[in-house]
Amino acid sequence: MIFAQVLVMPDVSWLAIAPEIALGLGAAIVLLVEVQFLPPIKRLGGLVAAILAVAFGFSLWQWFRVDDLLSSTDNAEFIAGFLPFGQMVVLDHASVLARLALLLVAALGIGAGWQLFERLGRRGAEALALVLLATSGFMLMASSVHLMMMFLGLEVGSIALYVLAGITRGRATSDEAAIKYFLLGSVASAIFVYGVALVFAGTGELSLLGARSFLSGTVVTRPAVLLIGLAMLVVGLAFKISAAPFHSWAPDVYQGAPAGIVGYMAAAAKIGGFAALIRVLHTGFPSMLDEWAPLIAGIATLSMVLGGIFALVQDDVRRLLAYSGVAHAGFILTGMVGGGVGAPDVWFYLAVYTIQLVGAFGVVSVIAGGTAGPTPIASFAGLGKRQPMLAVSFAILLLGMAGIPLTSGFVAKFGVFQTAWQAGFEWLVVVAVLASVVGFAFYLRVIVAMYMQDGDGTSPEPASPSRTVIALTATATIVLGLLPAPLLDLAANAIPL
Amino acid sequence: MLTWLIAAPALAALVVAFLPKDRKELYLPVGILLSFVPLAVAGVVFFEFQGGEAAFQFAERVAWYQPWGIEWNVGIDGISLGMIVLTTILFPISLAASTAINHRVKEFVVSVLFLEAGLIGTFLALDLFLFFVFFEAILIPMYFIIGIWGSERRIYAAVKFFIYTAFGSALMFAGIIALAFLHAEQTGAPSFAYQDLLGLDLGVVDERLLFAAFGLAFAIKVPMFPLHTWLPDAHVEAPTAGSVLLAGVMLKLGTYGLLRFNLGLFPEASVDAVPIMATLAVIGIVYGAVVAIVQPDLKKLVAYSSVSHLGFIVLGTFALTSAGLQGAVIQNVNHGLTTGALFLLVGMIYERRHTKNIADFGGLWKVMPIYSGMFLFAAFASIGLPGLNGFVGEFLVLVGTYASLPGFAIVAASGVVLAAIYMLWAYERVFTGIPDKPENQALSDMSGREIAIMVPLVALILVLGMYPQVLLEKTEASTEAVLDRIEAVTDYEVPAPGRLTDLYIAGGDG
Repeated sequence: MIFAQVLVMPDVSWLAIAPEIALGLGAAIVLLVEVQFLPPIKRLGGLVAAILAVAFGFSLWQWFRVDDLLSSTDNAEFIAGFLPFGQMVVLDHASVLARLALLLVAALGIGAGWQLFERLGRRGAEALALVLLATSGFMLMASSVHLMMMFLGLEVGSIALYVLAGITRGRATSDEAAIKYFLLGSVASAIFVYGVALVFAGTGELSLLGARSFLSGTVVTRPAVLLIGLAMLVVGLAFKISAAPFHSWAPDVYQGAPAGIVGYMAAAAKIGGFAALIRVLHTGFPSMLDEWAPLIAGIATLSMVLGGIFALVQDDVRRLLAYSGVAHAGFILTGMVGGGVGAPDVWFYLAVYTIQLVGAFGVVSVIAGGTAGPTPIASFAGLGKRQPMLAVSFAILLLGMAGIPLTSGFVAKFGVFQTAWQAGFEWLVVVAVLASVVGFAFYLRVIVAMYMQDGDGTSPEPASPSRTVIALTATATIVLGLLPAPLLDLAANAIPL
Repeated sequence: MLTWLIAAPALAALVVAFLPKDRKELYLPVGILLSFVPLAVAGVVFFEFQGGEAAFQFAERVAWYQPWGIEWNVGIDGISLGMIVLTTILFPISLAASTAINHRVKEFVVSVLFLEAGLIGTFLALDLFLFFVFFEAILIPMYFIIGIWGSERRIYAAVKFFIYTAFGSALMFAGIIALAFLHAEQTGAPSFAYQDLLGLDLGVVDERLLFAAFGLAFAIKVPMFPLHTWLPDAHVEAPTAGSVLLAGVMLKLGTYGLLRFNLGLFPEASVDAVPIMATLAVIGIVYGAVVAIVQPDLKKLVAYSSVSHLGFIVLGTFALTSAGLQGAVIQNVNHGLTTGALFLLVGMIYERRHTKNIADFGGLWKVMPIYSGMFLFAAFASIGLPGLNGFVGEFLVLVGTYASLPGFAIVAASGVVLAAIYMLWAYERVFTGIPDKPENQALSDMSGREIAIMVPLVALILVLGMYPQVLLEKTEASTEAVLDRIEAVTDYEVPAPGRLTDLYIAGGDG
């Protein structure tokens, strides 16, 4: 019914959250279908793919709608279309890009970890529904310009992820990961909420646009409360993107949670977290750039250095990817020190990295058989001989994450570095290029194992959706490395309001 | 044309990659055959190249990503011409010398061909971003070549090689970004094009920092003393083709980079850095030679001799005279040929005896006369015997250096003497005397294939030794242009007999 209405009568307001509605309803449908018809998991997979496609279609529609709005001369129509629902959410290119990225990551993530969903049996439907819900939550988070709305999205997304982390009930490691994630995540959420309260105390506004106009019209003589509040918002979100020193959950969760879903969990949380972070800092507090840019630069430095160093000494590929994810959070933050101008570079990096991340965890999931359990680097030994295609793809993905030229990772790194350089953070760029070299070192360890050491172990054949996703992500890594212009042009629109 | 020169080996690699799995015997022959395509293209470029012109020829410029000012910007001048020819010649030879590779042949051929594409790209790229892309991307195939097909300590050597060089280039990357933004500050739009960046006004501090950032990357690549420690490991562990390409071409990226980018973009800082660079170069010449003397391992000996020979190239570059630069450019090619030949020969004996220890041999000339003759020829070329190519390059370097830095030239000349000592002493121990060890008595001499591999190198060594003008007349205009620019933008003046206009130095016979 609602679908039909949206389709016949393109009410601008509904369109702004149509993808989220599609996913929410979709999650309910998946669960109902499961209870009613007990379909095989493959069918449910098809259904989920259709739901994601519908949401994707809505998002594309939104993209063109934003184009229309931007060229519209009618001011009232512009405001109504741009900031529907009483200025709680925003319909701009940045939010649509976040949706597209999240939907893509969800589709790829489910494909990459397909083995897990098959193994879960009847509970596969729950996992699928949770993925849809988490995606809708992070979408909402990315498109909100109101701190309460943002918190709502954050919680919807995070709680779904906590459950997903423990979805293989009965496995101690999985339970441990879920509890850890939940406890630390709750603390982070609490810090975020406290930050919201302090920002409200400082500006009298929960709306980011309201806060901005307040700050532009007022000289804050005693900004301590506001600054602490802002810092707490940053800390809360830094937890979500696993930036140091708020990253301690990541290795345990990445290692303990079922391998098939970790890629999606990590990628979705990163996209949502960064989207919100850009939104808060750039939309809400552009006038305080000089205050928050050093904070961001400090977190970025810590993340790159600590992430890199700890990744060097990991023996488990999942922990390695977790710490490398901390380093990547640092690299992405590097692109934010210049404020909104860096948003396109941040988005390009996020898109490229999350695609690689999902692909890489697809490979890990194949090796781990889709579930929890250790995946030591040694278990990759000789993979180059046993499964050449899988090994080549993994090597490409790892090289892409390392930022070797001719891969998308290099273009992404260059993008954030040049933004930071332009913003006057030359020292940060120097730290970052050196941290990239550390990155080469730990990614190479996995490649050494795959190609230069002999392994006696066997590894399971990937399921066909996983194989497709892994091949796709590896191809994207190369193609975007050679021809980055289309995606860069797309991301160039994504400067938030 | 140049785009195809870069694309040809990459496409060849793809062709080999998609050869059917059950036709293993095809991989290497197809790879060798296809590697003649870039050689042919390079030949056309070489003969069409206009000698008297300093500007970039066959230039192509297309925007890659406009907002960042990144371009597909390639071109060739006298400085890169010789390197392109050398690269395209050495690749078919290295592949043909790789019949001993017996596992994962397909991956090997693919890696080598991708390496060729990357190396050609590095020499042709005029956009600094593009240059860096190639400069860094070639580490991957070389890493695999050392790490998969190397000898016992291959993984250690491969990782050391990779991290060392990647670390060196990291700061250069920051420097490249800095240059682009300096360009943006001064003209409004960022640019990475070498041609555009020449016009920048850098300021003393920035220029020195940038010189250091670029210089570090190239100095590690060369490698200059004291940054050379990765080289012996990489060389000793690499398979023959890897050593040939590493010494023959990859090290030249360092000397090429110093000449093209450090001298070209940072003239003021280059002039100021002459004492440091020349000192390190001379230390490298003497140190490399002295260490080579005491090496018990034949391959390591050749590797350390490279440190010494490349010292000459750096010295010639920073002598900042016509003869010095000319010598550096031609010695880049010469060293590729002679050291390539030596590594190939060491590889051949290793395939027979599975040892490179000098002490394990003795009296080989009785059992392997052709091989011994070839080795003697290559050793003489390396020492710098007049009439062979090594003489031309080192003589030009020494003459050029004497004009501006006489003290350095005198010390550097000892490198030539030391070269004679380590080469001839090693030759004496390996080849002369009677073959008293039973393993050595039954060794077969060079096969027809092995002779065929060596013939082109021997011929080029002779040609460049007898008639170096073939190359020099094409490089002259470009090296002169470098000096013209240095004299134009700095207070530096090349001391009296240092310019071609002061005194014409005929290449070959001195």
